[in-house]
Amino acid sequence: MKHLSGKLLLLSVVAAVAVAAQASAEKASPERDREVFENRYKERFPDVAKEEYVNGIYAIDPVGRESWEAIEEFPPYELFIDDGVVMWETPFANGKTYKDCFPDGPGIAHKYPYWDKEQGMVMTLPLALNQCREKHGEKPLKYKKGSINNILSYIASESRGQVTNVVIPEDDPRALEAYEKGKKFYYTRRGQLNFACANCHVQNPGMKIRSEMLSPALGHTTHWPVYRSKWGTVGTLHRRFTGCNKQVRAKPFKAQGEEYRNLEYFLTYMSNGLTLNGPGARK
Amino acid sequence: MKMRKLTAMLLLGGAVAFASHSAVSADKPAAKAADKAAVTKAGNGGDKAAAEAAIAAAESARKKAASADGEWRDTGKMIKKAQAALKEGDFAKAVKLADKAKKQGELGYEQAQAQQELKMPSYLKY
Repeated sequence: MKHLSGKLLLLSVVAAVAVAAQASAEKASPERDREVFENRYKERFPDVAKEEYVNGIYAIDPVGRESWEAIEEFPPYELFIDDGVVMWETPFANGKTYKDCFPDGPGIAHKYPYWDKEQGMVMTLPLALNQCREKHGEKPLKYKKGSINNILSYIASESRGQVTNVVIPEDDPRALEAYEKGKKFYYTRRGQLNFACANCHVQNPGMKIRSEMLSPALGHTTHWPVYRSKWGTVGTLHRRFTGCNKQVRAKPFKAQGEEYRNLEYFLTYMSNGLTLNGPGARK
Repeated sequence: MKMRKLTAMLLLGGAVAFASHSAVSADKPAAKAADKAAVTKAGNGGDKAAAEAAIAAAESARKKAASADGEWRDTGKMIKKAQAALKEGDFAKAVKLADKAKKQGELGYEQAQAQQELKMPSYLKY
């Protein structure tokens, strides 16, 4: 009898641990993260429809939106798209083109970022473009400024209307690990100002920092590359990550390094279901 | 007549006093600059080894912070400025900059350690 009650006790402990582990796993799942993330904005801006967040700050700033809409009548990124078309169509020295690497192109932005099982890393579109170039004997392009933005602008414009759909494959635990690293990065305070990305864009969107209104993170990844008036040109998402890190006085990481690729993986996953509308124009 | 003499003497005395006061006032900034230069020179001549040690300590603290992904934006720049000051022979300035950089490195490392575990913020409702 004593033996039986001991077994029962052991079984109940095992069951309790299993239930707790399941609850914890559910709590930590990417999909649960995304729901909670989205709910944050529903609560904070109940009158803003989810699809509006593809417009970034202009989803919640009616004054800024007026100027932005005026700018979009003659988009400053158009010339970059035109240059991108030329890049896409001009053969490399070996006679191949980007089309040889991306047969479904140029409207392929919605396929990135993805988990590349073979290489064991998050693959982003700029990295894939450079891998294509190197495969065909061309020099890789710089990841923040310069002509990479031309071809990215063209691809983004051809990808308009596609839907963000980042997948974290269950058959490779490294993918979830990369997502978790990106998530950790997003919620980690860093720099002299001790800010996490989330402090500005999840905790305080709509609030002002000096004269600028903080944008919501939901939809942050839908419209890259972006023509920023501050830059006077088009720049990449990782250039913006670099700028954000510098603003909190943290030393930025390398564009297209593991940290920012994982961050992009997490952040884009948070915008799953939103339509791509790049390239964009921002202040 | 006596009265005139007295007034003249008083005026003359006043003028001398004013002139000497002005001379002292005019000398003050020059004296201050000289004092400052003397102090700087003493600092410069003083401790090259201390400046080099301070820079090495700052670089070590920066590397430690970087190893934990906790380096701050300006730490490396401060160290570079300290190295430039050392090269110019301004050891006091080099020490001051290096000490500041070292402090940043230490704080950056501490911050990274404190943030090692991911804690989801309470404004996200799971």
